[in-house]
Amino acid sequence: MKLYKKEGTILQILSFSNENAEKGDYLLVEDPDARKALIAQVIDVQFASIPGVLEELLRTLPDGGVPIQGEDIDPLEIAPHITYIQDASLLVCKIRATLENEMISPSSSWLPSRSQSTIRKLSVPMLMKLANVEGTRPIILGGTKDSSLLTIDAASLDGRLNIITGKKECGKSHLSKLLMVSLIGYKATVVIFDLNGEYSSIGMTADGKRNLHYHKIHALTPSQNFKVALKQLHLNVVMGILIHALHLPGTSAREFRRIWKTLKDQGDLTLSALGEAIRNLNCNQHVRDALTSRYHAIVNSGFFTDNLAEATLLEESLLKSKEEGGAIVINLRNTSTIDRQILVEYVLGKLVDSLQSWKLKAVFLFAEEAHLYLRETYWDDIVTRMRHFGIFTTFITNQPDTIRESIYRQADNIFLFNFTNEHDLDVVSRAARVDAETVRSIARDLPLHHCLTLGKVVRDFPIVARVRTLDVKTMGETRLFFKDKN
Amino acid sequence: MVIEQYTITTTPKYNFPQPTIDTTLPQRFLEQSIRSLKQVQPQRFQLNQQPFQQYNTYEQHPSHLRLNHTPITLKANHQETTIAAVDTSTIKIGETATGIIIAIRGATTWKQSRRYHYTRLGPFIFHITEENKNEVYNTLEKAYFNTYYNSNRSASPHLTQMPTRLASLLERWLQIILAKTVSHGLILFDGSLTSGTFDTPVQRMKEILSLARKNKNIVLAFSKMTSLRVNGYLITEQLPKHEPPYLLETTGLRFKSPMIPLGDVYVARLNKAKYAFRLDIDRETPLQQRMTAIEKLLGNDLYMQGYPETLRLSHILCTFTANEVLAIKHFITRKHGIQIINRPDMHKLLFGPFGKGEIYS
Repeated sequence: MKLYKKEGTILQILSFSNENAEKGDYLLVEDPDARKALIAQVIDVQFASIPGVLEELLRTLPDGGVPIQGEDIDPLEIAPHITYIQDASLLVCKIRATLENEMISPSSSWLPSRSQSTIRKLSVPMLMKLANVEGTRPIILGGTKDSSLLTIDAASLDGRLNIITGKKECGKSHLSKLLMVSLIGYKATVVIFDLNGEYSSIGMTADGKRNLHYHKIHALTPSQNFKVALKQLHLNVVMGILIHALHLPGTSAREFRRIWKTLKDQGDLTLSALGEAIRNLNCNQHVRDALTSRYHAIVNSGFFTDNLAEATLLEESLLKSKEEGGAIVINLRNTSTIDRQILVEYVLGKLVDSLQSWKLKAVFLFAEEAHLYLRETYWDDIVTRMRHFGIFTTFITNQPDTIRESIYRQADNIFLFNFTNEHDLDVVSRAARVDAETVRSIARDLPLHHCLTLGKVVRDFPIVARVRTLDVKTMGETRLFFKDKN
Repeated sequence: MVIEQYTITTTPKYNFPQPTIDTTLPQRFLEQSIRSLKQVQPQRFQLNQQPFQQYNTYEQHPSHLRLNHTPITLKANHQETTIAAVDTSTIKIGETATGIIIAIRGATTWKQSRRYHYTRLGPFIFHITEENKNEVYNTLEKAYFNTYYNSNRSASPHLTQMPTRLASLLERWLQIILAKTVSHGLILFDGSLTSGTFDTPVQRMKEILSLARKNKNIVLAFSKMTSLRVNGYLITEQLPKHEPPYLLETTGLRFKSPMIPLGDVYVARLNKAKYAFRLDIDRETPLQQRMTAIEKLLGNDLYMQGYPETLRLSHILCTFTANEVLAIKHFITRKHGIQIINRPDMHKLLFGPFGKGEIYS
């Protein structure tokens, strides 16, 4: 390989077919005189502009588009040299850092010698070692192209905002399960908004046996084993549900607040007492109607109960998880949009409450397709306010434009699977921790189950890895009509 | 057809038609090539700074030439006939302290059963110096004619003429191979049938034409460029208003000794493209056979700008592309350890952007 050009943070390197450099690979451009080296990542592979190649190709196709038949008697064996030159490629590389005295700095301000520099591939383990990525709580994400393991530190997910995105069926849920299971292994508390009911079985192996994490997985299905009593609710949580999920107008909300306080003072915070109070409320007919309709929505959700014995599971699960780590899977499958929003309002309110009162240290929240249940104001809350309470969110989506730009800008880590759509790539490339060229070039060519990891988990050295398999029962597969389809 | 009746014997490196033709020349080419390249080691090597020049022969001006402006009308004859063509190319790769490094390649192309086929021979790479030029040339001459090139040093070719000389040797050898192996076909040569130069000795050309006739072949030589003029104008630019295809006949072609025309010269305009070419047809070929030959050529070959495709392919296939020149440089650097040096280009050094090189000066 030979250094050809440097423009800004882009290096162009001439490479030959036997050197096998591909998109995503890291190269070390060492200047022996400067005693420094540039660490650059291949973001595109192009044909080198070799003079005469067009003529060479044209003369192989002169006979009406069919290759002309013939024999080349090449006694000096020049043909391999022609192929060697013709197949030369130009590696477009993004400079990631400078290595000097075994220390990495993000600088790319110096120019290595074009004639004296030596260029070699930098293996992922070596890069990880130099960048000190692994840490003390390793999570093996998968294998890289050079058959090494990509290991990240669980601590680099702590206090961070993460995004897992890619087009559907490319392995996003699989990766989120892997991260979840790994975090549980380090005794972390994980809460999952499970839109498709696919996380409930991560305590089981693929063949249906219980795995190591079986007792740490708490699957909560609303209206079944997950109910809540009004007495357990704080007024602000209820108001959140009414205003944000059920869109209760301001005047009616004020009336509700008054009713709630009265019932609480009377020690009679039950569904039946609430219904009776609304019926007997001496107020404007429209206000009463508004409150009545919300009351029925709450009752019909089946999520609320007057039986305290039925309403302790979330609290218990959080307590269990606090000690030994665990995952609370909120199964949102088969719930209506309104019920889903009620649930999410409740759970987030409960988490904030628990964290504020230090019942919990911190929670890793995994939210699949959050735009389907997360109210507008929560997006900003999650990246600002809730982070300080200790809620560290990972968004999982196949529609990157449903996540607000502000989330991308503040995302600490992005796990990017394949995207071919330009618009999707545009959205993701707005993330602050990554350059648009890398996203556009590498993500488009990612094979199935391969993920481009960006951000703090890899010390800002984007790395492509094939996500390792996980021995858990999969529940997120697409239901097919033609079962025998390959 | 005879071309496909070669008896091919496998050699460790490549195949040559063995029993019917002389294979000495390519083997000598290879031997001389390797031998000459070994002599350059471990010299340093200066890349050719001039634009790539691929040499062509040129002709002298004859006198008493007349052009008959009455066109001989032609009609395509589709009777299946093998069309074969040959061309060679040479290029200077660079210079060493003592000589030049050149590459030579030849190609034969033939059209048979509506498909084109080719055999390409080379490239052969030579390091030619003042010391080895006679040895190289004589060895190849001996392999070809079993005679030595003129041993008189004063008559030996200049170093810069060696690429054309060696390419001509290869070209004549390929022509003789076609003349021997094709029968009842048309053999197309690049250039003219004028003989008597260093590159085209009379005896050698006569032998080639004789061999071709023996196998019922007709030799047609197309010149891409000509300097033949009548009344001060090029013969290819005096075209009558007549629907092509047609030929214009010339008479009175005579050259100064030792040059001898072995063909009769025509101007051929073979399709509606506005280009016409000088066409030499073997003098020994009867007139009727000449016309039939051209009509068979019209009926069996394609024409790009009025030039036979078979011959065009030969030219295209043997021409060196810039990519191949790079590959040859890579080969001589890697295989023979010749270090590339950058000697300043005096034209560019002195004249800057006006320094285009010797060939334009």
